[in-house]
Amino acid sequence: MPIGPFGIDPGIWAPLRLLLAVALTLFLVLNGALLMIYLERKIQAIIQDRTGPHHVGPFGLLQTFADAIKLLSKEDVRAKATDKAFFLMAPMIVFSPMVASFVVLPFAPDFVGADLNIGLLYLTTLGSMAVLGIVIAGWASNNKYSLIGGLRSAGQLISYEVPQILSLVTVVLVVGSLSMVDITRSQAGPFVNFLVLPFAFVGYFIAALAETNRTPFDLPEAESELVAGYLTEYSGMRWGTFLALTEYGEVTVVCSIMTTLWFGGWQGPGVDALPALGIVWFTLKVYVFVLAFMWVRATLPRMRIDQLMDFCWKVLIPMALVNILATAVLLLAFPGNLWPIAIVNWALVAALVFALPALQKRRLRTFRERTRLSAA
Amino acid sequence: MTFDFLEMVLFAILAIAIVGAGAAVVLVGRITSAALFMAFTFLCMAGMFLLLGAETIAAFQVLIYVGAITVLILYGVMFTPQGSRDYGLFFQKQTPWAIVFVAFLAVPVMVFASSFQDGRPLARGGDLVPLATSLFGDFAYPFEVASVLLLAALVGAIVLVKRDDEEIR
Repeated sequence: MPIGPFGIDPGIWAPLRLLLAVALTLFLVLNGALLMIYLERKIQAIIQDRTGPHHVGPFGLLQTFADAIKLLSKEDVRAKATDKAFFLMAPMIVFSPMVASFVVLPFAPDFVGADLNIGLLYLTTLGSMAVLGIVIAGWASNNKYSLIGGLRSAGQLISYEVPQILSLVTVVLVVGSLSMVDITRSQAGPFVNFLVLPFAFVGYFIAALAETNRTPFDLPEAESELVAGYLTEYSGMRWGTFLALTEYGEVTVVCSIMTTLWFGGWQGPGVDALPALGIVWFTLKVYVFVLAFMWVRATLPRMRIDQLMDFCWKVLIPMALVNILATAVLLLAFPGNLWPIAIVNWALVAALVFALPALQKRRLRTFRERTRLSAA
Repeated sequence: MTFDFLEMVLFAILAIAIVGAGAAVVLVGRITSAALFMAFTFLCMAGMFLLLGAETIAAFQVLIYVGAITVLILYGVMFTPQGSRDYGLFFQKQTPWAIVFVAFLAVPVMVFASSFQDGRPLARGGDLVPLATSLFGDFAYPFEVASVLLLAALVGAIVLVKRDDEEIR
């Protein structure tokens, strides 16, 4: 009789493993969201010189748990004029791809849901499905603000998907695999991909901020102009699923992608001796990026929709295309030598950093000219 | 205990879903529902590709058709005025003609479809490498021609929607 892991019959182990994985993922998503909302509020409070949540539990740690219980116990309100089926379906369409993304995240050596050899493609695919749910939510709410929010989000997410995928492709070109485990294993030493491909990382970071609808790209739910965008008609746990669970789950997923692709994933001191330590390293690295996201949110103002599109189509995509072309050509020209690629990439980062103020100045000049013309 | 029967069950579910949702796309009155049913059909098609072991094609199916094309169609629907659309239903009133036309077209399609009978199973390890070699090796020239065509279409679209109006530019 064949014996699977832990001495369990493989026929029983296969469904049991599935059940365990789903339970673990839901546990991670739900509790991760609670923890991250607490972190977000605390970090914004620190940056804005406030205390933040501090009444419930030590350091206010249980505040978000109380909030979750409040959301769960709320009445399920649905406006009469909304489209019932679509209105109820939209949060599910957004939530389920996010949960499914966790399958390919490599938390530690041999601690992966499934080592797909198209892991990265799978992740981008699931990321692109969220757009559909948001557009449907905006349409089904039968509300002008929701509709504008949904349409804005469609434009934004589809546009920023392009630089996102282009950045990922550069890494795939260098590593030569789409599997998340292989990408992690290729960065064994201290020379992680970030040192070779910093521009791809910067491009992905910006595009990831846009993909997860976070400031400075939170136009689909911009409070000051759109009430709450596509979330306007949602309340209670539907709102919670949409905003809290999905947004923070997606943040976790994109931060895990950054960790895996550019910072060596689970790799770190002591992992070879004790593989379980990989989970600690992975989580630490992911939360560094989560903190960076929160820092950005508390620091930067929201962009206008035309600036958002301009930046994507006129700055990010052309530079990403140059990057991908240069990487491909240099890989063929100097096989096995990553120095030329690294030099080009760092040059592109410098170009981006120095080009932005110049672009901004030009924009301000044309803006002033236009106001002068219209005043005259 | 094996799970071999699952493949047949999944195939049956997917086949029914594809045909049913495909019919719904045509029959449903509301255009937004039709767009969503189309997205559902695309998703089920991706499932079919997965059953065939073509996981890369399945991923691209979802990425391009569900993630981009359906959203663009929804986008177009929402920008279209939803008033009286009697003139828009012109083609939906021609059921007898449609049946004749479909029946006429169905025969060659069936014959063509049943000519795809290759007994060779797909090599283990996914379809990523075979897909890449055929796309960038065997069919590199048609692939590039198609990309140039798409680029021309893109430039054409930009030229069409570009306005000479000073104010808007």
